[in-house]
Amino acid sequence: MPHTMTEKILARASGKESVKPGEEITARPDFVISYDFPGYTDVFFKETREDFGIDKVSSPERFVLFIDHMVPAAAPKEEELHKITRAWGKEQGVPVYEREGIGHQVAAELGYATPGGFVVHFDGHVSQLGAFGSFAFGARKGVIESFVTENVTMTVPATVKVELVGTLQPGVMARDVFHHMVRVMGPASCCFKAVELCGPVIDQMSIEGRQTICGQAMFLGATTMLIAPDAKTLAYVAGRSKVDLAPVYPDADAVYERVVTIDVSALEPIVVVPPSPANTRDLKDYVGVEVHTGYLGSCASGRLEDLRVAAQVLRGRRIQPGFQLHVVPTSKAIMAAAAREGLIECLVEAGAFISSPSCDYCFGRIATMSAGQRAVSTGTLNTPGRMGSVDSEIYICNAAVVAASALEGRIADPRPYLVEAAAAAGAAS
Amino acid sequence: MSLVNLRGRVAWIFAEDDFDIDLIVGVRNIKITDVSELAALAMADYLPDFASTVQKGDVLIGGRNFGYGHPHYPAMRAMRHLGISCVIAESFSPGFFRGEMSMGFPLVTCPGIRAAVARGDALEVNWDTSAVRITRTGQTLPLQPFSASERGMLDAGGLIPYLKARTAAARNPGAHAP
Repeated sequence: MPHTMTEKILARASGKESVKPGEEITARPDFVISYDFPGYTDVFFKETREDFGIDKVSSPERFVLFIDHMVPAAAPKEEELHKITRAWGKEQGVPVYEREGIGHQVAAELGYATPGGFVVHFDGHVSQLGAFGSFAFGARKGVIESFVTENVTMTVPATVKVELVGTLQPGVMARDVFHHMVRVMGPASCCFKAVELCGPVIDQMSIEGRQTICGQAMFLGATTMLIAPDAKTLAYVAGRSKVDLAPVYPDADAVYERVVTIDVSALEPIVVVPPSPANTRDLKDYVGVEVHTGYLGSCASGRLEDLRVAAQVLRGRRIQPGFQLHVVPTSKAIMAAAAREGLIECLVEAGAFISSPSCDYCFGRIATMSAGQRAVSTGTLNTPGRMGSVDSEIYICNAAVVAASALEGRIADPRPYLVEAAAAAGAAS
Repeated sequence: MSLVNLRGRVAWIFAEDDFDIDLIVGVRNIKITDVSELAALAMADYLPDFASTVQKGDVLIGGRNFGYGHPHYPAMRAMRHLGISCVIAESFSPGFFRGEMSMGFPLVTCPGIRAAVARGDALEVNWDTSAVRITRTGQTLPLQPFSASERGMLDAGGLIPYLKARTAAARNPGAHAP
């Protein structure tokens, strides 16, 4: 019987010949990933020991912890939490990666993203490991099951196949593609489904762009999103994968709950307006709206291609006086690569404030807005209050739009700057 | 302990689709951990005296994809503290669903519920027949049944007691699970 990637991965992880949508399974994650956060990891550690009498988790090599929120700590209790995490990792033989970057990205860099892998986290943005052909989902506090039993109980989701066809116009990025999918399909269109993404647009797209899209599956209502591995994927994971698995591909005649085809040829840059990630709009209808701060970073965006496009827009220019542009590379490796390429220098000279990797800008722990301020942001969420006052506003957009808006102090179309940059590069070569 | 059938009133209808539950206590308050403080803030932006109108056993009604956004826990902690016994919605966002069910708090899908009820309506929820009856209209709507583990979790009062019973049973297979 033919199967989707989702069904094949979950069958393997649950030790079954095959599984079907709606079936409840108990599956063994290849990796159990967490970042430390109060009320989550500290509670998991305590419950594992005190409620279940488990002093050591079994197969600690499947576990990994990241310290990426509250980095650097701004209060003693935050540092206390990090100390608890470090101590637990040491005692359990579980690696703790600190200050390496946002865990969802670093997990891929370290080899926890493997084609065919089954991964659980408490945070749903782990779905971005689907860019590498893993089935990775956020089980919220349900992840405790994996701490105490090695497994996680779940219902096999039906699969929605989304095929992206056409050719992306210059200045249109993966970020635009994802939010366009939300606009076309609807924010509730994939509730409790796995989305398998394919098509020529995905084939052409960078690994980074695929991570951007898969990481936001939750905003389509989906449990997760994944992409069948190709040569790019296999090249990325070669020498990194922490587990040896045969890559998994969907059968040609797999049965999907629905097949959606979206032509992105006419797509132009978008903006997602407050108060919800459901509100995708055309950028052109918001050009000129005054903005005071910009955030280029997060687990969704903030990778090399985002930094490159921002540098193209900003090279040789200065951002608007008084505008606060925060650029936060998603990981230390990305930051170092950006430095080697001269991107950091270019962004700093343009007036950007560059931070080492941290999740903290995305949820307003730092760079906090006051009432009446507006941000352009590549962060994950635009709920009022997410980045400061509930009376501030967040407009989600791609990295080039953040950079162009920083130059103008208003929401701006980056494409004229990109055309100019391309012409200058052409003249120079 | 097992899940008991409910009689309660509709305390509030969240009519909009894709409702972000952080708005219940306000995003500015989601870092508050004291549950009575959270409960006092609940629904302040919708109905300032909401807390005083809730009776133990009341239910919330939601639209499609209820719990969209980041499914933080404070909102439903506050609601449980006020006496809310479950949420019945057209559909749920999966992260929110999973998170709250693991707290032993029933979230149940019921297509058609939003249009069928008015605020204040008395409801009778029968978990065994997976149905909800609206007293005022006499209408009965089917509820989407829980999976075995979801029902087990609710019967046990949450994921932790459920897992405790399961792991104990695995260690001592001859004994009956408590």
